Amino acid sequence: MLEAREVSKIYQMGGGVVAALDRVSLSIKEGEFVALQGTSGSGKSTLLNLFGGLDSPTHGDVMFDGRSLAPLSKKEMARYRRASVGMIFQNFNLIQTMTAEENVSLALAFGGWRGRERTRRARELLMRVGLGERAMHRPAELSGGEQQRVAIARALANRPRVLLADEPTGNLDSTRAGELLSLLREMVTRDDLTILMVTHDDQLAARFSDRTIHMKDGRIEGMRDEG
Amino acid sequence: MSFFDILGLALRNLREAKLRAALTTMGVVIGVAVIVTMTSFGLGLQRNTVERFKNLDLFNEVQVFGRDLNTVLESQLDRKPEPASEGGENKEPKKPGNKRQAKSSERPLTDAALGEIAALPGVAYVEPTVRFSVYARANDRVRQELIGGVRVPNGASRFQHFAAGQMLGAKETDAAIVDESFISEHGFKQAADAIGQRIEFLAPPDEVGSLSNASRRNEGGAEQRASGKAEKEAGISSSPTRRADDTAAESDNTTAALGEATAETETDEPLTFFGLPLEDSGESSRAGGSGLVARTFRIVGVLKNEVEKGSGGNRRFRGMMPAANIYIPLRAANEWKATHRGMMEQVALQLARRSGLIDTEETEGYQAATVRVSDPAAMKNVVERLRESGFNVFGLFTELDEIRTFFLIVNATLGLLGGISLLVASFGIANTMIMSILERTREIGIMMAVGAEDREIKLIFFVEAAVIGLMGGIVGALAAWSIDKLSNRLAYQFILAPRGEPFIDFFSLPPYLWLGAILFAMAVAVAAALYPAARAARIDPVKALRHD
Ligand SMILES: Nc1ncnc2c1ncn2[C@@H]1O[C@H](COP(=O)(O)OP(=O)(O)OP(=O)(O)O)[C@@H](O)[C@H]1O
Ligand SMILES: [Mg+2]
Repeated sequence: MLEAREVSKIYQMGGGVVAALDRVSLSIKEGEFVALQGTSGSGKSTLLNLFGGLDSPTHGDVMFDGRSLAPLSKKEMARYRRASVGMIFQNFNLIQTMTAEENVSLALAFGGWRGRERTRRARELLMRVGLGERAMHRPAELSGGEQQRVAIARALANRPRVLLADEPTGNLDSTRAGELLSLLREMVTRDDLTILMVTHDDQLAARFSDRTIHMKDGRIEGMRDEG
Repeated sequence: MSFFDILGLALRNLREAKLRAALTTMGVVIGVAVIVTMTSFGLGLQRNTVERFKNLDLFNEVQVFGRDLNTVLESQLDRKPEPASEGGENKEPKKPGNKRQAKSSERPLTDAALGEIAALPGVAYVEPTVRFSVYARANDRVRQELIGGVRVPNGASRFQHFAAGQMLGAKETDAAIVDESFISEHGFKQAADAIGQRIEFLAPPDEVGSLSNASRRNEGGAEQRASGKAEKEAGISSSPTRRADDTAAESDNTTAALGEATAETETDEPLTFFGLPLEDSGESSRAGGSGLVARTFRIVGVLKNEVEKGSGGNRRFRGMMPAANIYIPLRAANEWKATHRGMMEQVALQLARRSGLIDTEETEGYQAATVRVSDPAAMKNVVERLRESGFNVFGLFTELDEIRTFFLIVNATLGLLGGISLLVASFGIANTMIMSILERTREIGIMMAVGAEDREIKLIFFVEAAVIGLMGGIVGALAAWSIDKLSNRLAYQFILAPRGEPFIDFFSLPPYLWLGAILFAMAVAVAAALYPAARAARIDPVKALRHD
């Protein structure tokens, strides 16, 4: 489903050069739940952005469903982000001036949902992450965990085949985190959703994912299949 | 994403920064208000000017000229020397003759020609110019008056305003309308007193009977009996509608008579006419004078004198048709002219006939005619057709074009000045948009991350700008409308009213002007958003999402 072939991402910083990713090769099957671990600055978010079609690699090839993303036009890239992948960002990235429902609704609007259908689906998504009551609140009026759940609802809005999550449980207590990951796990088994999730929590990674990948300094250090 | 979603996002963005949006819109409001006010003033000026000329019938009437018999005679007769010629010298004077012929039309302006002209598309009617002088008696006073034949019904603005009575009726043959100077010259106290009064047209005694006069038979039976001699002559003469050619036979005698008459009247004594006292109210004088009465008309209307203030007093020039003191039906005027030909005209006609230049049946036609078009726009075409048909034409139709061109320049200049203020506003819009992009970088990044296309991102900004343009345009147009109304009001109250002048609308605010200005404001606003929108679409989502 997702594949990285010898992918490098190099940033030019003044005189020096930073390799956020250094010849990373990686393959994720459809319906697989993969956890991504690594120290800060090891390139996890950069890898997610490449798979999410927000960025393009300096070298190498990023593939989705066996097809390279490199030849896609800007417009096709937008369509890919809209329909194929859902992203949850480390800092939530919700629009501060919009309510939870409007934030979810915005993604649905770009996905072509209209009118009452859209409202109904936005409510339903928020309900699924346990935020039915908070639909009309703006991000500033929500706790970190609640904001994260709005971001999850938004990422799942257009029924993506791949979910790219950057520390979705970072702000949740272990009970809540467990609940959320059960929900994601269920979607993986039931709907064949593919998940690439960044987490610092070894326990959660071991409990819910099929496989854990360790990164360090822009390279994959090791992989472990979770029983 | 549907258009309404984009509109919703654009409106939301404007609401989020209300003050900034309002201030930006203010720039557009001022720009549009200036454009619309300036241009509406220019258009008002144009309308008022053109209207003024139109009211004077200067743009919907032209004069056509028929072939001038004198010119033809002078150039043609030289070639065919009549009784005793001067031989070879006749080639030299041909040159000035030719020159003059260029002025004169090639074709005679006969009734048939008038019919042809009337049938041209765009022509409302043709009115031949029939003018002559006559001694007219009314209210026991005789004055020399200029008589004009009038076509009924008549659209000329000259016959729109009456001091008393009304226009000639279509069926009336012996009715006349007079102007106000006639009223004063003939000693009427006021215009209304003249209505229903008689005007007697005087002629030399031997011409009096030459036209049997319907009006004389109808009214004033006593007079008729008194002038036995006239009665007899009327009996001999043929039908009342005879034309010039019929009277040609009599011309030899009448010429002599006319010659005598002119010689004697030259003394111009108001109290006598052919040695007879005229202003005495005594029976004898009336009886004596009535021997000269050729035809009687009844006054049905008195024209108001059109006095143009501040432009050199009484301006009698209105439209293309020369003015007269007394207007009678065209047919009556034609009849009179046919029976009371001037000496020179008779000689010219005889010469022309004898030289074979025109048939004995043919007349020289009218000197001129007024052609009225139904719409000034048709004028150009009509004039062209008239010239193609060989007529000379005079009118102010080219001036209308020139006035239009002049005002086009004036309006364009005024609009341009307004345009500059809108240009300034466009920088304000661009500035606001760029500010808004800087503020919303993250938001734009988020929209890109959830799948917004470049097109959609740009559209949000265009719609936002268009809304600013639309709101500014509407408010600006309303402001301009208020300024127009207020200016009119103030001008009336402080300038016109104290001078006793009527209210004038100085502005013209046609729908195309304010609608156009609103659309233009929207276009300018969208143009101002071109760069900001492109810049928004170029935002790198990764960078936009990273910064906190
Ligand atoms: N736009 C950029 N310009 C320069 N360097 C960058 C840029 N984006 C990322 N980097 C660098 O690339 C490296 C990888 O960054 P990345 O955000 O992928 O780390 P991460 O693994 O997600 O870390 P964390 O766990 O703290 O989120 C870092 O050293 C970072 O400084
Ligand atoms: Mg990161």
